[in-house]
Amino acid sequence: MIALPYTFALQRRLTLSGRRGVGTFVGGLAAGILLGLALLVWAGVPTESLLDDLFVQVFISPQGLAQTLTLTVPLILVGLSSAVAMRVKFWNIGIEGQLWLGAIGATAVSLYGVGPEALRLPLMLLASALFGAAWIALPLVLRLRLQVSELVVTLLLSNIAYLLLQHLLFGAWRDPANSFPMSMQIGGDERLALLGFGNLHSGLFIALAVTLLVAMLSERSRLGFHAAAIGANPQVARAAGIPVGLTLAIMVLLSGALSGLAGGLIITGSEYRLTQNIGWNMTFSGIVIAFVARFKPLWILPTAFALAGLYNAGSTLKVFYGLSDAVVVLLQGLILMSLLVAQFFAHYRIDMKKEPR
Amino acid sequence: MDIAFLGSWLGSVPTAAIPLLLASVGLILSERAGVVSLGVEGYLAMGAMAAAAVTLESGSLVLGIAAGVAAGALLALGFGIAVVLLRAEQILAGLATMAIGLGAAGLLGRDYVHRTFEGVTNVDLGSLAQVPLLGQLLFAQDPLAYLAILLTLGGWWLIARSHFGLRLRAVGEDPATADVAGVNVQLHQLFAVTCCGALGGLGGAYLSAVASNVWVENMVAGRGWIALALVIFARWDPLRAILGAFLFGAVEALLPRLQASGFDAPVYLMGMLPYALTIVVLVAASCSRARRNAEPAALGQSYIRQDRR
Repeated sequence: MIALPYTFALQRRLTLSGRRGVGTFVGGLAAGILLGLALLVWAGVPTESLLDDLFVQVFISPQGLAQTLTLTVPLILVGLSSAVAMRVKFWNIGIEGQLWLGAIGATAVSLYGVGPEALRLPLMLLASALFGAAWIALPLVLRLRLQVSELVVTLLLSNIAYLLLQHLLFGAWRDPANSFPMSMQIGGDERLALLGFGNLHSGLFIALAVTLLVAMLSERSRLGFHAAAIGANPQVARAAGIPVGLTLAIMVLLSGALSGLAGGLIITGSEYRLTQNIGWNMTFSGIVIAFVARFKPLWILPTAFALAGLYNAGSTLKVFYGLSDAVVVLLQGLILMSLLVAQFFAHYRIDMKKEPR
Repeated sequence: MDIAFLGSWLGSVPTAAIPLLLASVGLILSERAGVVSLGVEGYLAMGAMAAAAVTLESGSLVLGIAAGVAAGALLALGFGIAVVLLRAEQILAGLATMAIGLGAAGLLGRDYVHRTFEGVTNVDLGSLAQVPLLGQLLFAQDPLAYLAILLTLGGWWLIARSHFGLRLRAVGEDPATADVAGVNVQLHQLFAVTCCGALGGLGGAYLSAVASNVWVENMVAGRGWIALALVIFARWDPLRAILGAFLFGAVEALLPRLQASGFDAPVYLMGMLPYALTIVVLVAASCSRARRNAEPAALGQSYIRQDRR
């Protein structure tokens, strides 16, 4: 080894000062965003149009803002889904699968005409939440009963869910009048009302209401308190008499239901039919949103809005500069990594000493 | 089903099995040193893209495959610096690495999508390949498949038989004790993580340069995650990983063959089989006591000397 004139020692900071925590967080976020911008410039986006493409066109111009808000709706729900599961240290990386199942559930209610017509729309949304929750039940049971890690199981169930989606779209549910694999359009009274601002629909209010509910649940209720205790230390929580299994089950099923509802809102609010193109990359986006929002439900709203802007800008980048959707995934990855690395400076300090010789 | 069908089916198993095997062996190295590399899906994607891009640009397959290995290793080195030196949380950093790998592959490879190229061809050992049943499996594969088996055996030797492996395993079981004994914990972990990336990159290069002779986005299709499950099935032993990878390869290779021979089954439902099988195998492996004993004790924890007890 090379002999350094100094010895380095990593010291864990005993207290995490609020100001340092905020500082490293903001620094990490800024570094990630700057890195992303540099990457876009390198990939051929002219510097002078960055502000226009990434900010003005997606947050200021009415048309762009409407589109960004429409994209925000499912992102809020997947962010909540990820945050709720992470609160009890359950890694739900199958959000896409639960979202697809939710979309399938909502479409099924419409296609098979379940229930009276007046109740059809609420039934579709209910079905989407139930289907999403059902899709996470298997990894939940495996984790609780057999200690099987949910990491791989939730993810692989997403692949299975996508194949199920394709099976339906290329088979029984295919709209014969369409050359693309998609289901028939849902009826007019099965759609969420448009708000008269671009394609923005009343699903936004549903997402806001759900956020408030989840915030109450996790910040104000006994369940939320139990969940926080389990997230901090499951052994201690169990020793303190907290029903660990039950709390975990409720939170995880809620996570699945939220992802499923995201799928239901996409069907009833913006797509009006089941297609192969919904829900992509939602798992990772949910994780990024939850992490950037520090797992706080109310912070998820602005975070989801910001990420929706990125997705919206992504389609501009795709059309004008030939950058694929991959670039949006890459930017999210860079931001998350930058935030994770920045935490080092909040948690540790480096002591340097002259080597005594 | 006749012998010829079985023979050609078995002969096509390695093509499906080798990427899984390489990724699993890389993961075993990394996890034996105590680091969970969830980004392996990203290594595979980078390897596949880099191998196709460099082969298309330079016309040299060897260069292309080397580029695949280097791309995977580079991405893994970044992950290693984040989790080993900067103590980032391993699971989240792994997921971020996966996103970076998938995203960078899509961005850097945007001009190389769907462009076919001359891939690695199988070795010709003459009449040996005519041996019934096992001839094609054993004697008509591509050179990389044989190399992958050699690498796996080498990996097993490194972990189980070498001094270096002993230190590596010590780091994964109890980094504090290894540290006291004078083992450089961080260096061993960085090495293992980078090797994982190199092997993942080679697995990815295999996907594009051998198995399909083309690169498309999303061609990795969850193989990194199947490899993660295979590691548990293999109880962190490269030799058992061969068994696991070939089992999965056999299922994957069976599907197109059944369809070709006129067996009428719903395509997409059949496509679920490898994933469903992974879950079943994972459950079975997780239930056994042997698995709990085999899992490196300090897996997923970051080590700081000052926390030592």
